[in-house]
Amino acid sequence: MTTYDERASLSSLTATAERIRGAVEGVIEGKPEVVRLSLTVLLAEGHLLIEDVPGVGKTMLAKALARSIDCSVRRIQFTPDLLPSDITGVSVFDQQRRDFEFKPGAVFAQIVIGDEINRASPKTQSALLESMEERQVTVDGHTYELPSPFMVVATQNPVEMEGTYPLPEAQRDRFMARVSMGYPSPEAELRMLDVHGFVPPLDDLQPVAHAHEIVKLVEAVRTVHVAEAVRRYAVDLVTATRHHPDLRLGASPRATLHLVRAARAAAALAGREFVLPDDVQALAVAVLAHRLLPTAQAQLGRRSAEAAVLDILQRTPVPDPSAQAWRQARRL
Amino acid sequence: MTGRARLTASAAVAALAASCSMLPLVDKTTWILQAAFLLALQSTAGVLARRVPLPGPVTVAVQALTGLLLLTVAFAGEQAVAGLLPGPEAFHEFGQLVQEGAEDVGRYAIPAPATAGIRLLLVGGVLVVGLAVDAVAVTYRSAAPAGLPLLALYSVAAGLGQDGRGWLWFLAAASGYLLLLLAEGRERLGQWGRVLSGGRTAPPAPGPTAAGGGRLARVRTGRRIGALALGIALAVPAALPSMQGGLFEPAGRGADPGSGPGGTTSVKPLVALQDSLNQPENRELLRLRSSAENTRDLYLRIVALDRFDGAAWRTTERPLTELPAVLPAPAGLAAGVRTSRVETTLTAAGGYAQNYLPLPYPAEEIRADGRWRYEPEGRVLEGERGQTTKGVRYQVSSLQVEPTAAQLAGAPAPPEEILRAYTQVPSSLPEVVAQTARKVTAGSANAYQQAVMLQDWFSVGGGFQYDTQVASGTGADAVARFLKAKRGFCIHFSFSMAAMARTLGIPARVAVGFMPGTPMADGSVSVGSKDAHAWPELYFEGIGWTRFEPTPSRGTTPDYTVAEPSPGAEPGGGPERLPDRTVVPPAAPRDTDACPPAQKKLGECRSPAAPAAGSGPASGGPSAGTVAGVAVAALAALGLPLLPMLWRRRVRARRLGGPGTAPAAGAPADAPADAVAAEHTLAAWRELTDSAWDYGIPPDDSRSPRGAAARIVSAGALQGAAAESAGRVAAAVEQVLYAPRPVPAPGLAEDVECVRAGLHAAAGRGARLRAVLLPRSTARLLRGFSRLRSLARRRSAAA
Repeated sequence: MTTYDERASLSSLTATAERIRGAVEGVIEGKPEVVRLSLTVLLAEGHLLIEDVPGVGKTMLAKALARSIDCSVRRIQFTPDLLPSDITGVSVFDQQRRDFEFKPGAVFAQIVIGDEINRASPKTQSALLESMEERQVTVDGHTYELPSPFMVVATQNPVEMEGTYPLPEAQRDRFMARVSMGYPSPEAELRMLDVHGFVPPLDDLQPVAHAHEIVKLVEAVRTVHVAEAVRRYAVDLVTATRHHPDLRLGASPRATLHLVRAARAAAALAGREFVLPDDVQALAVAVLAHRLLPTAQAQLGRRSAEAAVLDILQRTPVPDPSAQAWRQARRL
Repeated sequence: MTGRARLTASAAVAALAASCSMLPLVDKTTWILQAAFLLALQSTAGVLARRVPLPGPVTVAVQALTGLLLLTVAFAGEQAVAGLLPGPEAFHEFGQLVQEGAEDVGRYAIPAPATAGIRLLLVGGVLVVGLAVDAVAVTYRSAAPAGLPLLALYSVAAGLGQDGRGWLWFLAAASGYLLLLLAEGRERLGQWGRVLSGGRTAPPAPGPTAAGGGRLARVRTGRRIGALALGIALAVPAALPSMQGGLFEPAGRGADPGSGPGGTTSVKPLVALQDSLNQPENRELLRLRSSAENTRDLYLRIVALDRFDGAAWRTTERPLTELPAVLPAPAGLAAGVRTSRVETTLTAAGGYAQNYLPLPYPAEEIRADGRWRYEPEGRVLEGERGQTTKGVRYQVSSLQVEPTAAQLAGAPAPPEEILRAYTQVPSSLPEVVAQTARKVTAGSANAYQQAVMLQDWFSVGGGFQYDTQVASGTGADAVARFLKAKRGFCIHFSFSMAAMARTLGIPARVAVGFMPGTPMADGSVSVGSKDAHAWPELYFEGIGWTRFEPTPSRGTTPDYTVAEPSPGAEPGGGPERLPDRTVVPPAAPRDTDACPPAQKKLGECRSPAAPAAGSGPASGGPSAGTVAGVAVAALAALGLPLLPMLWRRRVRARRLGGPGTAPAAGAPADAPADAVAAEHTLAAWRELTDSAWDYGIPPDDSRSPRGAAARIVSAGALQGAAAESAGRVAAAVEQVLYAPRPVPAPGLAEDVECVRAGLHAAAGRGARLRAVLLPRSTARLLRGFSRLRSLARRRSAAA
């Protein structure tokens, strides 16, 4: 049952989110969906993968999101020679204290921007796995907690680009959502020239929310109600990916968790204390598509994983109001 | 005799036994001897061929050839080559004979004379069936299917014959078949070696002897089972009352005279009147003009039922003859009785198809188109080979016999053969019938007085009521039941009076036909379906068959039964009733005039004869039940296209009933208020999507309520209030379905109506019409059915 406090926190959540969104959209022109999805992932305690060709503002989006929140931010430029210890940190022997001292890596920040993550070797990419999933880093047998909130915003170039390694499936699965920037519309591009033609856009960006506010917002998101019908719908969608003829690898149970969590955040951002199937539908492509592996035939036929998810969305029935809902209504 | 030879003999005997059932069809039975001799020769040919041995098909061919040679010698010896081999002339002769035989079958009544053609058909048929049985049972060693040709032969005979000894022929045919089966069984056993017959009484001992004894025991058991089955087959139908023919049920033969090989014999009388009694309208069946001064005695007879077997009155089958130019004088009519000659011209309606020609009695000359044959005893004309009265125009010269009461009273005893034939009553007739007859006629001096007393007792003094709704009744005691219940219609009265007259020794039969019709303004008389009637005819020597009228309020009482009332009639009976009944006019609306008020029920005063059994839809009007059925069917046919609309309206009314009116479907009576509200919200949503479906926007299961509403708004071109209403309903459904605690949304029914109005306004004329008359959402019914079916299937599979 939603209490007054929850409603209050929800309203404050939407207000804070609106501030952040306004700040980021001041930098990223004409991409409100991308900005909204980024916020959703932030509030759902997930990590965001931004994929697109160079120069469309991937890094700008990550930086803007980080800059609009008053929190610690680290940026890692992934290169082929980057070592795992560069990310996680390294224990160095202190001559004076005659002991090993841990020098935290770049991952020790509240928002970590991993730029061009797929340019690093898979070994280095894997260094992020533990930190992303368990929000901790283990070096030389010692485990170090990461600060909260913690979010990895990674950018990557399409796999076809030169000098890139494909992200391992396990790594991709850690990202809650993948988003493509896409080219801005001519109008947005023109406006970008006018506004940011001479001044770096991030220079004007001031933090509009504090980190502890974000922590509260995340806690508020956890209270959003997900009806059984919606949970079942999410499971149905994810299950369908495992049987789709165009896919040789379906989504994992972690994907289901991510989908529902993201839907919670989306509902909260909409000021709603319960999740709708619409929330799930709106997030399905972003949350599921990057985890799926199309079959060779699908690739030859230029049928992408996104198309498969859209197909699944069209085929999977939303919980029927006349059957399941009636039973649910009787349980009230 | 070897097993194979025994089997051959059994096959021949079985074929002959089944052929015996055809014996009653022909007046001389010598043909069976000829058939038996030829069959024996044919079977012998088979035995020889199998002994050679020849292959099966060749054996059959040899037998067929033998049969052909035998038939040639027997029937076409003169035309055969060398008196034996069938040449073209012989085949031509066969063709002639078969054609003649077929014509004779149609021409003669049963028993037919054994003409050469009929003999060929019979003997040839026996040989063919014998060959089939022999081939199947002996050559191909499968006795059981050999029953089929035997059954076919027996069925032909049983279908044609009607001599009351059917059980005997059935016994013969069935015994022959059982014999065949037994012989085959023994032959099959014999192939395993010699049957040792030791130890019939000895205790069973190990070894082949015991086995042989066991086989013999099984054979004995098989015989007993066969005999028992035959006994049951004969006894059970006789013992079951439901399988008895009813006394007041349609009498006569099983074959439809209209469709059979016409006129082999007489009658399938038409006393299945109960249906026709309740027909709502009086349809004209006949129109006649008569030279008679008074047509009120102009009864038209169709058929006479002269055989009373306790279960029903039936017609005796008698040979039909060519229609003579002048009919013989009526039986028993002496010169001293006053008669007048009446010329009548009759025209049957096109819708009246009866295969008996309605005639005044006694007719002397009949000039009628068509194929009509004459049955002298009953003076009945029967259509041949499908000839019916449909549209027939015919002229009849008949006698109007006007005996005096004195002549009737002084009539001498009838001849012995008439007495013997027409006073028989079955032993099963309850004694109360004869007792009542004696009681009613107590004090009478002669047969005439007895007859008048019976008539008056039925029509006036006995307290009987005319009632067409009474069931006709079945079984031998139907007369007794009628005498007790005292309610019935003309069939009950005429059958009962005839039966009682017979118990008194008065020759009696029942005539079926029409009462005098209704005189029309142009001088003609119209006879309608409501004039159908049945009446008793009693025989008085010197006068002949004399009509009586026991049915109250129906027909006209003959003058000779009232002009000179008999002294000492039964107490409280006759004196005052006689004048009244004679003045019943045969004038126009008979039913209302003739019937007392208490009997003015629709269809009360009509009756039997019209429905010529199976002779076409026009033979009688439809009964009230039929009319009601047709009306219901017509209404259903008209209303059927409206069913989707009506169903849809009902469903909508139920869904939009609102929380304040009644719990929505499926809501338990004690459900909490929010649950009831939730159900109403869902019902409103369902109605919204179905309304959209009706207007051509099919439901999409993959869309959420919000998405579905958006689609309805866009596809239905909804604007303003309608679009907002759709959004409100969707939001309410979201609350119910997904919110932790739904917020009730009032006014959903109005919102749905608003959306509906918006869809209606935006739709074209065709779509509007279809949405009302043929709403697409009725497909949910089909889906529901298929879902239920698959559910049931799953459950049964799980069970």
